[in-house]
Amino acid sequence: MKILVVVPEFLPLDQIKAAVSTISSDLDVRNDTNFERSDAEILIVTTFTPVNAELLKKMPRLRFVQVASIGYDNVDLNAMKGNGIIVSNIPTASADSVAEHALSMVLSLLKDQRFLDSEIRSGRWPKITRSTDLMGKTFGIVGMGSIGRALASRLLPFKTAIIYYDIKRMSEAEEEEYGATYVDLNRLLSDADIVSVHVPLTETTRHLFNKSKFDLMKDGSIFINTSRGEVVVEKDLIEAIKKKGLRAGLDVFETEPPDPKSELLKLDNTILSPHIAGVTIESQMRFFKETIANVMRYMQGYEPNFRVA
Amino acid sequence: MKGYKIFGNVLRDLKLSPVLGNPGTTELPMLRDISNYVLTLHDGIAVGMADGIALWTRKPVLVNLHTDLGLGNAMAFLMTAARNHSPLIVTAGQQDQRHLAYEPLLSGNLTEMADNFAKYRTEVRKPDDIAYEIRKAYQIAEEPPRSPVFLSFPMDVMEAEGSYVYEDVARSTHNVMDEDDVIAVANAINDAKNPAVIFGSEIDEFDAFSEAMAFAEKLGCPVYSEPLGNRSSYPSDDPHYAGELYPAAALVDLDLMQYDLLLFIGSDLTLYPYTTDLILPGKRKIVIGLNNRRMIGETYRANPKIFLARILDLVHRKCNFRRSRDYMKLTDAVRDKKKMGQKYVSYRISKYFSDFTMVDEAISVSETLRHYFGYRPNGYFTARSGQIGWALPASLGIAMYNPKVVTVVGDGSLMYSIQALWTAKHYGIPLKLIVLENGGYNILRSYAMSYFPEISDAEYLRPEMDIESIVSSYGIDVRIADAELKELEWLRSGSDQKALIVKMDRSIPSMF
Ligand SMILES: Cc1ncc(C[n+]2csc(CCOP(=O)(O)OP(=O)(O)O)c2C)c(N)n1
Repeated sequence: MKILVVVPEFLPLDQIKAAVSTISSDLDVRNDTNFERSDAEILIVTTFTPVNAELLKKMPRLRFVQVASIGYDNVDLNAMKGNGIIVSNIPTASADSVAEHALSMVLSLLKDQRFLDSEIRSGRWPKITRSTDLMGKTFGIVGMGSIGRALASRLLPFKTAIIYYDIKRMSEAEEEEYGATYVDLNRLLSDADIVSVHVPLTETTRHLFNKSKFDLMKDGSIFINTSRGEVVVEKDLIEAIKKKGLRAGLDVFETEPPDPKSELLKLDNTILSPHIAGVTIESQMRFFKETIANVMRYMQGYEPNFRVA
Repeated sequence: MKGYKIFGNVLRDLKLSPVLGNPGTTELPMLRDISNYVLTLHDGIAVGMADGIALWTRKPVLVNLHTDLGLGNAMAFLMTAARNHSPLIVTAGQQDQRHLAYEPLLSGNLTEMADNFAKYRTEVRKPDDIAYEIRKAYQIAEEPPRSPVFLSFPMDVMEAEGSYVYEDVARSTHNVMDEDDVIAVANAINDAKNPAVIFGSEIDEFDAFSEAMAFAEKLGCPVYSEPLGNRSSYPSDDPHYAGELYPAAALVDLDLMQYDLLLFIGSDLTLYPYTTDLILPGKRKIVIGLNNRRMIGETYRANPKIFLARILDLVHRKCNFRRSRDYMKLTDAVRDKKKMGQKYVSYRISKYFSDFTMVDEAISVSETLRHYFGYRPNGYFTARSGQIGWALPASLGIAMYNPKVVTVVGDGSLMYSIQALWTAKHYGIPLKLIVLENGGYNILRSYAMSYFPEISDAEYLRPEMDIESIVSSYGIDVRIADAELKELEWLRSGSDQKALIVKMDRSIPSMF
């Protein structure tokens, strides 16, 4: 069975090739989709490769698209469905890594680590600190999917209160498992000391966090986004950081990488990372394994897991 | 008509039924015309049950005790009833007057014994006085501040001939209020910059919840509840509710520091550990109610219900207080689950029994339990005196009128009136008992840790016993709770007698 793997340049091509070749020798690994035609039946991609009707035209034999990440907004699901193509994502593999990343940003902001680190490097030895505890704070999670849940379960030992919003409320038993109280989004934004966003990018979440939402947030509260840059209106966030003393931890941006002239890069009370929350040495291995396992499932004639189309 | 017939008639006419008691020789004469008698196996349990009934029904209840011995045995319960403002008519037999001079067995100065906790007490001398004294006692007990009264009946009075004429008692609603007082208080409120309200048990006693809420809404100011009240004072889920005051003067001062006028409405200040002599020095304090002890502030005598209704239109909005929602409750409870801690146990009990009345003697867990369960009308009762062994009898009294009662007691407290289980089983009174087993007197160990750490582990603070066997020996269905506390569902159902033992976290809570 022919497999085409398209991975962005920054990923280790050889390693991927070696891993995937364990399941098939009829394999093509590339960095782009600038080909005339491919007869592959299986396509493995990351979120960085658009999979749309145009690509389909070049891949007449395509039956199964495996996106090797949680997000799959690069895939035009309607086009796939229209052609009877199965699409799967890998919903679990990086949830823990993203949750840890979000938590590290929160702690880093609460403990004022950027400032303290730079003070020492500048030859100073500050005696006072704006550092505060996570304990006792109200932590708001927007989106209680696998990442939101992984985060909630890590928060319990920190002795925070946990509130969450999701379009689908968890069962009572689940809420009791995570100790999380359901509130609507506006309530969450106004009551939380920390807001961490874990929603997929959809038409309803696009630019969900705009001025009117930031206005609801407490002065000096923390906003973490490790989901998708487009769920935030970046200029509104920048304004809230400047006007309300909001602090932000951002792994994702409206355009990636952000414009070097963006004001975001000049603000003090932010901490940034390059859309990498889910990428750790361990999570990459898990992605490989889960991706390979799911593709094997398909090749052996079973229904693949994690179907989204 | 013989004295005992007069006694029977007046009790029936005043609807003083049932009679709760434990009899001796001296009471046999007076019980011959009593039909609805509930036997308790300790004199105090009769008073405790009557206390429960009086709290629930807000009406006088008659208890019959065995001369000085029974009265002596019941003394702590009588003291609690007095603090709880329960209108009990406590009666006892007395030796035959004709040989009292010889101080025979079962004779004693009963009225003097009752002096501390009965606001009226007398010994009836002749049959003609029986009905008269009971009617008088009934009305005095009912007159706020409600409290027990005591009547002693020599044996011979029940045998002698007298006459009985039916006469009713006043059925007053005690709508006491002075118009000038209301205006004076309204002016004080309108002149204040930053007032706060402290509601207390009288709000529930006089059924004034909706008036209290309307007043808080109008004023917009924070509402506290009195420390160590014996019943609900304000709905804890209302956004104006700022919490419960601590029973220590210094902590009350701290909590109320920011206000310039403190309105104690239907509330009192019950203190526990000594912290400082002065309470709220220099602050204007206005106290309104029928029970308060006039210890602090300018005291106005008024029924809080009609006072609050009347003053509503006379006061202006003063603050915009809204408490933030307490999200920590659930998170704390979940975190506490592994060690079967106070918060988890309280959370689960409160959830399963949210539509029940709680009788609380959880002692070191009480504050947490109240925090999770909350206050609502006729929804929460405890002893204002700090007596232990009260909750089980009191809850049985309530359960005779309302089967939806959950009783939460510490393993130490359980043993003070354990034989109340016999009465529950024998008379088929619904019982849903939760015993919190932490292996000792944790509240005392906690106090010791703060002040006398060398005895915090003392053997005499850690009595342990086989509670399951003890309770089941009364024919009560007993279960031990699992980690999920799922048996609460079992406990909740039905109306027979059940007990659930919760093996709790044994760590000692810190007190101060
Ligand atoms: C009649 C009476 N005797 C003694 C006391 C003193 N006392 C107060 S609390 C307590 C122990 C309560 O133990 P338990 O019910 O197990 O509750 P815990 O403190 O362990 O929470 C004692 C002995 C009292 N309050 N009343």
